[in-house]
Amino acid sequence: MNYNRRISRRLHEEHDATLALWGRVEATLAARRHDPALLRSAAAALAHELDRHFRFEEAELFPRLAAAGEGDIGELLSEEHGTIRAAGERFIALVGEDPSKSEIRVLALELAERLVGHVQKEEMSLLPALEDLLDEETDDELDATYAAA
Amino acid sequence: MFASASRSRLLPMSLPFRYFGAAAAFQVAAWGMLLYSFRALVEFEGGLGPVFGALHLLTLGVLAMTAMGATLQLLPVATRQPVRALWAVRLLWWLYVPGIAAFAAAAAAYRPDLMGAGAMAVALALLIYGVLLFRNLLGARGMKVVVAHGWAALGCLVALAATGLALVARYEHGWALDHVALRNAHLVLATFGFMGLLAFGLSSFLLPMLAVAPAPASGVSKGILCASLAGISIGALGFVLPAALIGLAAAIAHVVSMERALRSRLRRPLGASFLLVRASWGCLIASLALALLMALGLAPARAALLFGVLLVPGWLLTFLLGVLARIVPFLASVHASGGARGTPLISALTPARLLAVHGGLHLLALSLLIAAAVSGRPTFAALGAAAGLAGAVAFSAFFAYVLLKVRTHELQPPHQPATA
Repeated sequence: MNYNRRISRRLHEEHDATLALWGRVEATLAARRHDPALLRSAAAALAHELDRHFRFEEAELFPRLAAAGEGDIGELLSEEHGTIRAAGERFIALVGEDPSKSEIRVLALELAERLVGHVQKEEMSLLPALEDLLDEETDDELDATYAAA
Repeated sequence: MFASASRSRLLPMSLPFRYFGAAAAFQVAAWGMLLYSFRALVEFEGGLGPVFGALHLLTLGVLAMTAMGATLQLLPVATRQPVRALWAVRLLWWLYVPGIAAFAAAAAAYRPDLMGAGAMAVALALLIYGVLLFRNLLGARGMKVVVAHGWAALGCLVALAATGLALVARYEHGWALDHVALRNAHLVLATFGFMGLLAFGLSSFLLPMLAVAPAPASGVSKGILCASLAGISIGALGFVLPAALIGLAAAIAHVVSMERALRSRLRRPLGASFLLVRASWGCLIASLALALLMALGLAPARAALLFGVLLVPGWLLTFLLGVLARIVPFLASVHASGGARGTPLISALTPARLLAVHGGLHLLALSLLIAAAVSGRPTFAALGAAAGLAGAVAFSAFFAYVLLKVRTHELQPPHQPATA
């Protein structure tokens, strides 16, 4: 989909990067290969995503959706953030301790699936809603806020 | 009309799932009736009886039922308009289900005098659905391609209901109508029109979402829609040759545009359900190629039966089953989320082996029915109907599995995470 809003395009690009990275993680683990460097890279990217992408959506976008009568989307996505955050923080901690730990495989596969499902929902509902909701000025402000975060 | 009630675009789970559940049950009934009448299948040329009953259990009971459940849930996401009258969604289901059962049973029992009541209930339900669809499309924002397909499908639905009621009136009251012309128009409007256009429209939104791929270019999709509408209109008026040519071009363009979009997907594994989707596309193109041969007088014996097999169980049913295998667990996971238990994994709601068995049985049934139509041998029809029945039972088991998993997820203590 082509987005007119800068913030939608930025979030969409990050979704693409997330899917590419976690697609590699999923394929590697499904083939029972061990790649500690890839796991560390995934953990670092996830930490960044939880801290920046998720927080930005929760602080800046979901309240705007709720105010526009689209609160159900924000609620669902917020709840998924909670689930992904809990699993993600555990994954980051385990990879930081020892990337060869056996429980990392199941956790990483779960995270890969949750992240893909979450991106699907954001691409289907959040980004199209932002296209309607934001005017150019607000879009510029949000883009600047996100760039500075 | 139909004011109040819902602001959320996500319907309560019981609403779309009652349509999917009824479709699963009607699929079992349709294959069962076909198995019962397998000898009549290879000689079927239209007219009342069990094959007619099975055909309408499939078209009204499975295809249109699924289309209603899916559009009532998915269209609001695409149009950014909630369904505002949940009571109407419930009412139409309660009219539609007994209406189909009564209509198909009366037709199977050669009782045209009893078909009218079922047909009226079905027509009333379709009218309510049409009003819901109209209201949703009227306020639609975004996804213009899906909305345009929705309007086109709605137009076909109106014409389809009118031709259907005229056919019933002819059976019941002996009205002097051109039966063959009406029947052909009804067939074109139902399969390529209402169902086919909804399938094309929702494909441009759903399949890219499932594969995490870009949607086909909007100009291409609109061009395909215009060509499809031209083919459907010409076909409904009885001009088979130009309709088949235009329809074939539109179908090939649709499949090419979807395959192009899927090639750019970010999620590499498509899953087994896409095998069914691709098989359905093959059947769509084959059905139109066969229609072209029929118009040119080059078709083999029993071409009309083969055309029907390729079109209804081949294109439409196979496509819907492939899509349902993905969206039922997806929607269930969304509905099952809430509170401390979080959203269950879609893989935890997807019985992969059961779905593989279902897919295999369905494709086997389709192959055997095609063999029956080509050879005229009832044994193939019997084996095909038996495989279809087993596949339909497997699909119902899949549906029951998802419902059970959602229920147990709800019952899980909060500290226990959902696992695949």
